[in-house]
Amino acid sequence: MKVFAFVLVIVTGIMLVVTAADFPAWGDAHSPPNQYLSTHYITQAEHETAVPNMVTAVLADYRGFDTMFETAVVFCAGLAIAAILGHEKKKRYVVRRKALPKTEEGDIIIRMATRFLVPVTQLFAMYVIAHGHHSPGGGFQGGVILAATFILMTLAFDLKTILGRFSEKMTLIWANVGLFIYAGIGVLCVLLGSRFLEYSALHKILPGTDEIMARSHSMLGVEIGVALTVMSMLFAIYAHLVSKGRLEDGL
Amino acid sequence: MSENLPFLVIAAPLFGALVASLVGWARPRYCYAIAMVSLAAGLTAAIALLVKVSGTVSGYEYRLGGWPPPIGIQHWVDPLSALILVVITAVAFLAVMSARANLQLELPGKERFVYPLMLLMVTGLSGMTLTGDAFNLYVLLEITSLSSYALVAIGRGRAAASCLNYIIMGTIGASFYLLGVGYLYLKTGSLNMIDLRQIMIAGDMHGSQTVITGFILITVGFWIKMGLYPLHGWLPNAYSFAPHAASNLMAPLMTKVSVYVSLRMMLSVFTPDFLAVHALWAQTALLVATIAIIAGSLIAYSQTDVKKLLCYLVVAEVGYMAGGMWLMNRAGITGTIYHIAADAFMTCCLFLGASGLIASTGSRHIRSFRGATRRMPWTFAAFLVGGLSMIGVPPTCGFFSKWFLIQGAIEGGAWHFVAALIFSSLINALIFFRIIELAYFKDVEHEDDVSHPPQVQRNEAPWGIRIPLFITSVVIVLLGVFSPRVINWIERFVDSVGVT
Repeated sequence: MKVFAFVLVIVTGIMLVVTAADFPAWGDAHSPPNQYLSTHYITQAEHETAVPNMVTAVLADYRGFDTMFETAVVFCAGLAIAAILGHEKKKRYVVRRKALPKTEEGDIIIRMATRFLVPVTQLFAMYVIAHGHHSPGGGFQGGVILAATFILMTLAFDLKTILGRFSEKMTLIWANVGLFIYAGIGVLCVLLGSRFLEYSALHKILPGTDEIMARSHSMLGVEIGVALTVMSMLFAIYAHLVSKGRLEDGL
Repeated sequence: MSENLPFLVIAAPLFGALVASLVGWARPRYCYAIAMVSLAAGLTAAIALLVKVSGTVSGYEYRLGGWPPPIGIQHWVDPLSALILVVITAVAFLAVMSARANLQLELPGKERFVYPLMLLMVTGLSGMTLTGDAFNLYVLLEITSLSSYALVAIGRGRAAASCLNYIIMGTIGASFYLLGVGYLYLKTGSLNMIDLRQIMIAGDMHGSQTVITGFILITVGFWIKMGLYPLHGWLPNAYSFAPHAASNLMAPLMTKVSVYVSLRMMLSVFTPDFLAVHALWAQTALLVATIAIIAGSLIAYSQTDVKKLLCYLVVAEVGYMAGGMWLMNRAGITGTIYHIAADAFMTCCLFLGASGLIASTGSRHIRSFRGATRRMPWTFAAFLVGGLSMIGVPPTCGFFSKWFLIQGAIEGGAWHFVAALIFSSLINALIFFRIIELAYFKDVEHEDDVSHPPQVQRNEAPWGIRIPLFITSVVIVLLGVFSPRVINWIERFVDSVGVT
């Protein structure tokens, strides 16, 4: 069986190597991927959507339907981890909306540094989200940075304390809100007499915009939705994984 | 609004999943109602779509975001996708209908996860059927696979181990597909299926090594996903150790949609002309399918675990379709498409029946069928309709799909495939007559097994399982009785893609 698998791998490898000879040359400006659709995106994206960052324009508008499902994949992953690891009978957390503990065991330098770092990092994350359609960034990146701040806090303090402030229920709600924003904007377009995710229809309800600016603003909207889902689901996945689903003591 | 039907089919289960996951936190009991309502909405939209397509010549497009096709993503609704969509949403509706009774027995307290995951899976499956964009298909495949991994892993006992196997194999299959699409993009610069076809024809790329490798990668990737025999390793364990509620949904749909996508790629992207040039492929694929049918049937015959037995029957049935599509003639393709629809209902019926049997006897062993005609006459009768359809007894739909497949194989001169189909029917007859024998002629009284009470008691499956089971068995017969209409419908598609 091992020999058979080895032969199969070799044959597949040879097939892939032989195929590589047929590829367009490296960096060839006239190859089909560089010629056909890319030209349209590069030359027309800003003109059609008023978004200077053409990556965001492709991601959130031209192929916005894909991105909606990528967000749904993150949502599904969080749900899957909770479904597999989660325990049903859970204690209610007594620690709720309390100040972060001041004197406990642990390194005071780390905790003080975290206190300074977290607000700045979160502010930066919001910049990444809000400025995603003008400069590199966007919902996925900003959402990951936001989730990272929560993970940093659980490392500096402990999981229970942070879950008291951002509980499993809240992660589920915010992940839902995020996907609702994305899909809801799509449905809103349908209700306004257009097709799903055809943002230009929103100029009817967004004051002071035309069809093109409406696309730009809607992209900000969906990026916020993506960020909320990614943030809460990544944190929920982390919390479940480090505590084996018990959501009590983490690392 | 009727223009927006394709989006409704996808949005209904998606929003259902969101609402169910939110409501399920506080009130898990409402999840079932939410799931049923959203699936009913999806089914209604799918039927409306079918009616709408019947008025057009070849189908119509739906531009997501309003962008014209190669720039944006497009849904393409033609007779084939509309038909498969109705089958998927109908089977999903029936399978989820049975989920509550199964979940109460197996996984109490996990409803709030299971229903949203099921709905996300149906979203992905419907999307894969509708989409006209090769990359969008991958994204939807991802969400379908991810939710199905979770649904397998949530089970007890060996479910986690078989899920790991499933994840590894499934991921390899999906990445093969993605790599194949990447190769096509490298040559054409497009991801839209119709555009891909036109560029490949216009640029005369059918001889290009990259396109050929891309095609092989896509085909093998979906062979893994559909569980064609030598690549089927993940399927029996994953589907038999998964919770019944999940396997009732997955077993009928996952493999069928993979077959559909494979067929769509062959006919609508690569065109029959391209496949005709490489005659060796068809011979190889038919040989693999023949082996799959024979091996699947034989292994099924040797099983004593009811669910394992059904899983290997699925493996054999996949061989029917994987072979049928490579016959590349009118009867063969028609038979394959009809079999996708027929097999979805047949498998659903058998899995529902098996879960009903297990729910009322508590045993998965084939012996638990003993005296079933007295203990659970209705459940068993409905299960038997599925079994007779598997054998191919008229007027069930299994007869007609086999008829067309055999006709296509004879026309194509693939005698080994004909032999395999007939062999598999005989083995199926043996399997189901063995079950009938157990059910009719072996009584519970003559059994030494102390786990069963000696007196014959009425012990039907719970209503929650019996109702969808009855509906499914009625649909199997109706699909057979109205087969001329369905066949006409399918032939309209087959003619439009130029298969002769």
